[in-house]
Amino acid sequence: MFDLLQKCVRVGEDLGADFVEARYDDLTLRTLQRTDDIWKDIQVKSRMGFGITCYVDGVSGFSFTASSASKDVKMAAEKAFKMAKASSKAATLKLPFERGSPVKSKKSDTLPVKVHPRDKDLGHKTDMVNRVVESAREHGANIRNIRGLYGELYGKKMFTNSDASEIDWEFLVTGLRCYVTSKTDSGALVFAVEGHGGTIGLDFFESKGTTPEEVGESAGAKAKEQLKAKACPAGQFRSLIENRLVGVLAHESFGHLSEADFIVTGGSPLAGKIGERLGTEHATIIDGGYPDIKKTGGLWFPFDDQGIAGGQTVVLDKGVLVHYLHNRGTAKKLGQEPTGNSRAVSFVFPPIPRMTNTYFTLGTLTEEEALEQLGTGVYAIQTSGGQVDADGSFLFKAIRGYWVERGEIKHPLREVALSGNILDFLGKIEGATKELRLYSGYFGGCGKGGQSPLPVGFGGPKLLVGDVTFGGQANG
Amino acid sequence: MARRMIMMEYDNLNDELLSVTDTSLKYAKALDSSAEFEIFIHYESSSEAEIDQGVVTAKDGVVAGNAVRAAKGQRVGFACASGIDLDRVKLSTREALSIINTISVEDDRFKGFCEPRKPGREGVFTKEILELGTDDLIEHSLQMVEEARETDPKAKIVNAGCSASWGGIALGNTLGIQAASRTGMNSCYVYVIAMDGEERKSSFDFDVSRERLFETAGLGERAAKDAVRLLGAKKIDTTAKMPTIWTPKASAPYVLSSIGKSVTGQPVVEGISPLCDMLGDTIASSGLTIVDDGQNPKGLGTHAVDGEGHPQQRNVIVDKGVLKSFLFDSYYGRAFNVESTGNCSRGGGPFGGPTPYESSPSVSTKWLEIEQGKKGIDDLVAEVDGKGVMIMDMPLGIFHTNVSTGEFSVVANSVLLIENGEIKGSLEPVSIAGQFYEGFKNLLHIGSDVTLTPYGAQAPSLLFDDFSVTG
Repeated sequence: MFDLLQKCVRVGEDLGADFVEARYDDLTLRTLQRTDDIWKDIQVKSRMGFGITCYVDGVSGFSFTASSASKDVKMAAEKAFKMAKASSKAATLKLPFERGSPVKSKKSDTLPVKVHPRDKDLGHKTDMVNRVVESAREHGANIRNIRGLYGELYGKKMFTNSDASEIDWEFLVTGLRCYVTSKTDSGALVFAVEGHGGTIGLDFFESKGTTPEEVGESAGAKAKEQLKAKACPAGQFRSLIENRLVGVLAHESFGHLSEADFIVTGGSPLAGKIGERLGTEHATIIDGGYPDIKKTGGLWFPFDDQGIAGGQTVVLDKGVLVHYLHNRGTAKKLGQEPTGNSRAVSFVFPPIPRMTNTYFTLGTLTEEEALEQLGTGVYAIQTSGGQVDADGSFLFKAIRGYWVERGEIKHPLREVALSGNILDFLGKIEGATKELRLYSGYFGGCGKGGQSPLPVGFGGPKLLVGDVTFGGQANG
Repeated sequence: MARRMIMMEYDNLNDELLSVTDTSLKYAKALDSSAEFEIFIHYESSSEAEIDQGVVTAKDGVVAGNAVRAAKGQRVGFACASGIDLDRVKLSTREALSIINTISVEDDRFKGFCEPRKPGREGVFTKEILELGTDDLIEHSLQMVEEARETDPKAKIVNAGCSASWGGIALGNTLGIQAASRTGMNSCYVYVIAMDGEERKSSFDFDVSRERLFETAGLGERAAKDAVRLLGAKKIDTTAKMPTIWTPKASAPYVLSSIGKSVTGQPVVEGISPLCDMLGDTIASSGLTIVDDGQNPKGLGTHAVDGEGHPQQRNVIVDKGVLKSFLFDSYYGRAFNVESTGNCSRGGGPFGGPTPYESSPSVSTKWLEIEQGKKGIDDLVAEVDGKGVMIMDMPLGIFHTNVSTGEFSVVANSVLLIENGEIKGSLEPVSIAGQFYEGFKNLLHIGSDVTLTPYGAQAPSLLFDDFSVTG
């Protein structure tokens, strides 16, 4: 396969490209979804194809093909060159980068797992989902709907370029999830979700705390608790923010603004702010492709789709902005090192600056101490998603929460939106708990530039934050 | 096959794709004559160019893929693969068959694939779109950027892009469906951030069409003016229930993420849609009529057949405030004891995302049309007593809502204050919360400004009462 990829590089270079990247993906995705007693989905996807990027004068052009006929692959290289050539005439901001030494992957770049999903048959996996659904049913109440899901994505990623790099490794991400919807006596629908995932083998789902039974139990019990939950009052409250929601804040609201394609164009409010204090000393944010998965969980991503090894990039250091997340061109432009953040969701897309595992680092508080320091306010937990705007304003949905008074949890809260501007938010972080958790998985993922869902990891400790704006119904 | 892929042209696309489904079905039947099969082929050639602060990004390629469903009784397997070479369709066929041959799990609702019917019509398409090259797309993007910059020096950050695409789908199944349908469109957009000190306000404008070339003139100017107009925002400094005007870029997402989701087969059949028991009930004020039209010649979701080969059709969902029908494919239709409404979709939504063949069939709207009312936007503003707000762009979080509760809480960044029927300037971001269906009952007025949006709906401005506004 490297032969064909290297041929593409030569085709591009012979036409006049300054630099060429050629990659090949052969990925398999499997999704199992059971809704109540019905198997809604059992599906297999094969995602195989070639993506070629040519650079002319610091401007890129991209093409792709799902055909492995050498003629079609070479034609993709020609198209990519033509795109680059046409674009270079119109571009006023160019991002050239220098050639580097060839990068060669090693066998150890593929993270080994005890039980790889390819070694277990479908029956093993449907059984996992059945166990989730039965357990949720047993532990829930007034259930209207249960969904159990299992997913896996694995396979080869190969890459070469004008540096003569040869990278060949295997991607893996799995996930198990359960959604429960219950109906209150007054007819309102409430829901809960639980799940685990990341670069983990199926052995993970047989270990204590993360078994299918425990996933189902947790989702069922939380939906049951939601039956008596109250709406969160609207207004500004002190808040304790749970690890998963912290991770999504790190990723969505801050991480995206630190992606250097938004920096070089000036689109991000973080542009030109290296060295500036943006948050309190408790705000340290890292992005990296090599987490200690056994300890914290997360996603294994040793090389990006430009062949750069993933690092551990400290983006925000004790509140001070120190680094952006780069591709090769933006790193050169801004005088920083490439960070291994150039990623594409599949061969159909060009790589663009994306995150890997993005997280706040841990603090020193226990959960009890954090609640005590919180005093009165909202303990916001998990999230069903979020969105940010170019100016740093954000909105996230916490799936559930608790109302806290004088350090004590009083009653559960329904789904609630929290909003604000990330730059204000970072300045209000008063402390963090001392356990770090990273979350990743087959389900969910990140969307940017039409490329979705890209598996990512995110997380952190629990954060104690001053005033946060909560939505909800006004009484007036 | 490889050579044929390259030679595909718009005129003979349906025949080319049908020859793939035909050959593949023969292979499938020979593999296991006791199984039923369905073959879906997707082919789309697209080019796009974008300019973001001087950085030009261009992409050109063919998204081609196949999806196969195999069934025995109530066992169903789905498999798909990139590529439409016969080898790749064979791979999906074998994988789909192996699912049902190795697993004994059954889908009790499954009662077979779609029955053949006479296809509907393809939408209109101008072949001028086929002629758009990368150079044209870049040139038009440049024009929008320059126009926005010339309009106001405060229009600091401008990005613009254009795209052109054409392609088709083909379906074949062992019940006798052999149908294909083509589509194509071109679009352009411009996004402007106006800056004044640390304050940033954004606006965007766009044009999209399948029956003519996009028109870029005026878009950059409008987006720049709208963004600059939003500068100088003040805090609303209150938490209260008040009237809200949702202009088309906000009202279309409102309708898509509420009724557009809750009338579709899955939440209706599973009983989690708030509307599932309300057919024939009045669910909105009497001015509201909503149609999903999969046959509007100019609609962007129009196809002769849907994602399983059923003819697409025009479905009236809400007629003068009364809930008239839900939307189904054959799977959920049979579960509800009704016919399919031609709303089977691959990839969700009218456009299906970048690789629609990777998604198993689901139900979605094809092209939502909210019928226009009588009042111009100025009349709507004049109708607001006391304090109200006007939402100018898609609010954050509008698509992150849970279909089962209907509750929403969004943040609007581009928003104007209204006091006693007059616009009083721009506001800092406000959050707006409420319940979609209470909103429809509190719908005070519908605008006459129906606008075609790129989200899969055309909508007028809507004036709702009683959502809570915080900021």
